[in-house]
Amino acid sequence: MMRLVLGLVVGVMMIGQVAQAQNQPLRLEITEGVIEPLPFAVPNFVPANAAAAELSSDLARVVAADLIGTGLFREIPSSAYISQITDFGAPVQFADWKAINAQALVTGSISVSGNRVTVGFRVWDVFSDKEMKPGLQFSGTKEGWRRMAHKVADAVYSRITGEGGYFDSRVVFVSESGPKNQRRKRLAIMDYDGANVQYLTDSSAIVLAPRFSPTGDRVLYTSYESGFPRIYVLDVGKVQRRVLESQEGTMSFAPRFSPDGQKVVYSLSQGGNTDLYLMTISNGQSKRLTSTPSIETAPSFSPDGSQIVFESDRSGSPQIYVMATSGGEAKRISFGNGRYGTPVWSPRGDMIAFTKQNKGRFHIGVMRANGSEERLLTASFLDEGPTWSPNGRVIMFMRETQGASGRSSLYSVDISGRNLRPVQTPDGGSDPAWSPLQK
Amino acid sequence: MQTGTKISAIAHVTLVSWAFIGGVFDSEPLPFEVQEVSVISAEDFAALSTPIVAPEVVDQPSDLQAPEVPAEEAALPTPSEPEPEQQRPDPVTPPEPDPIPEPVIETPVPEPDVPVSTPSLAVPEPDVQILPISPAIRPKPRPVERVAPQPVAAPPPDVAPDEVEKPAVVAGETGEIKQEEQEATAPEEATDQIVPDAEETANVAPTRSVRPQARRPARPKPEEPTQQASTPSSGAAQQDAVNSALAEALAGEPEPSGPPLTSGEKDDLRIAVSSCWNVGSLSTEALGTTVVVGVSMSREGKPDIGSIQLLDSSGGSTAAANQAFGAARRAIIRCGAKGFNLPAEKYGQWRNIEMTFNPERMRIK
Repeated sequence: MMRLVLGLVVGVMMIGQVAQAQNQPLRLEITEGVIEPLPFAVPNFVPANAAAAELSSDLARVVAADLIGTGLFREIPSSAYISQITDFGAPVQFADWKAINAQALVTGSISVSGNRVTVGFRVWDVFSDKEMKPGLQFSGTKEGWRRMAHKVADAVYSRITGEGGYFDSRVVFVSESGPKNQRRKRLAIMDYDGANVQYLTDSSAIVLAPRFSPTGDRVLYTSYESGFPRIYVLDVGKVQRRVLESQEGTMSFAPRFSPDGQKVVYSLSQGGNTDLYLMTISNGQSKRLTSTPSIETAPSFSPDGSQIVFESDRSGSPQIYVMATSGGEAKRISFGNGRYGTPVWSPRGDMIAFTKQNKGRFHIGVMRANGSEERLLTASFLDEGPTWSPNGRVIMFMRETQGASGRSSLYSVDISGRNLRPVQTPDGGSDPAWSPLQK
Repeated sequence: MQTGTKISAIAHVTLVSWAFIGGVFDSEPLPFEVQEVSVISAEDFAALSTPIVAPEVVDQPSDLQAPEVPAEEAALPTPSEPEPEQQRPDPVTPPEPDPIPEPVIETPVPEPDVPVSTPSLAVPEPDVQILPISPAIRPKPRPVERVAPQPVAAPPPDVAPDEVEKPAVVAGETGEIKQEEQEATAPEEATDQIVPDAEETANVAPTRSVRPQARRPARPKPEEPTQQASTPSSGAAQQDAVNSALAEALAGEPEPSGPPLTSGEKDDLRIAVSSCWNVGSLSTEALGTTVVVGVSMSREGKPDIGSIQLLDSSGGSTAAANQAFGAARRAIIRCGAKGFNLPAEKYGQWRNIEMTFNPERMRIK
């Protein structure tokens, strides 16, 4: 009897569990995915009038090039398209784009009226049959069509990845020409992709380490125009410059703007000793931040302006240190093998890029702001001078090849270490500095 | 003498002979060291044994005499012809620097062909407008896919309405025949599926018992057409009644639950979704965000796109969660377009799925 009762109880419980299991969803955890470029399609923008026909293809090509250049996207060639976009307002035939595995679709229209260009676009999530946020429209001059294309690409990039783009930005760098022992250097500025190169100085004096202001309208740089290194500030729009720091018997170099653009931190060498100084631009007064017999240089502000990361050999070899902007004791954050230098704080604030020399090789690397999780992204005969893209995802740097005929050129690499690619410049290039996104 | 004794005797004799002849008892000579000695004469021995006399110490040092030097060596070497004076290199002069520009503020433009002034693109922010999208231009899904015009695969036999229809029509009067038909369809289902592990068979029993119970409520439905059939209506009306009863029966019928999915079946689904989960285009913040996505599945193993929803997220902002959800959503839709390989007889087990997409291993290390 007892067994019968127990059996009934167990049976009822089992039935209950089955019924309960039927209502419970199946639960899975997925931890492994794939990392591959996302396929997308950018058909030529639909020209609203005959005058816009010429730009409709060029604009789409620049947008596609921007996205492909990130290494995160792969364009589906137009020859694979099943349907064409002939009407910007017409419904999108998602099935046609799904069939060619286009996961994102960019449609756009362009109209030209006189010198005025108007560009509208939409980004579609093909497999969800819906648009990613509402469409946008830009208007500008005909000469500025590339910049409009970069703006479109920034918006597309942002909608798909969820982080800001970096295409509507510029890079100031030192253009180098001539043999290695007689290099001619001059400041140059260009779009981030190497287009629209313009020169800001002549090659009469050696120029080094240009740095953008937070608004991108001014550039700090070091020039040997007087025979000694001096810091200059140059107005990019007017191409006018002035000496920022000049003390007799001193050398000043490695300047960098504070995030608010009101101050400049730099190195000043006096009597064989090099220390960091902080200057208020409005009144020209400088404050000494370090007082050690070692060499302190290559300072860089944290994005919030509260800290400065810099390079010092106070421990016997060049290492990276962090200290408060007000000065005081510095904390060493690099402890790996080799020599560390040229630290640059990420615009996001979470990472610091640096140059590392170890066992005869140079590397560009990144580490957390506290020095942890060091990762080397590149390795070559000479890699140096990293600079961050405005969104903190890409690093541009200088790479020099070996030998008397070695040439210096600019490269960019994703912070994951993938997508290493050269940046096209007319001549050689070094000391790149990435501007913030243009307004 | 026995044969064994003979053999033993012969063997012993042979062994002893071999021991003596073969030199078993020979021993190796002990190792020893050999030291060579030489014979010397008595004079030599006396000379060797004579004590060494210490040299006498002289108080006054004797005058030192300069050693005679051969004349030819003493002669100073005549200087040879001086080599022509080496040309002192001219001091290295730094390359003539380009003329320092006048301390004028204006910087001359070195390249005349390049315009000095930077392009000022008049793209002010106010020009950026959000395009309103009218409902009229909202995309409509095409009724038929142009590509892949293949017919939709026939549903598995267990979900075909025929099975339900048969008992409704044939056995409308009684409900007892139901179980017999269930037994008839069960082998067909089993033949189309991968047979689970032997241990799983124990769990099959309760599920088989559940299915007939679930269908019982549907039994009384056929009574309605019989009532309507009392009226002199046409066969079409009766068919409608049967169809409606069938629809109600299908709607009210719980899906076949079956035993829980085996780990292999779960892995199949996990791998299928993983192969389409592309995190390459995600932001670093989205790569640190774990999302839980809920989805309802059709009997064919295809996800109901409208049912895909974000249930929970952790580790990132709302924007990052939305990006991570978008990637997860695309993975489910893309790889589920042709239907996931799921056991039909366990539909109740995977009708609703919650997938946790954890990108921790995919993060940039």
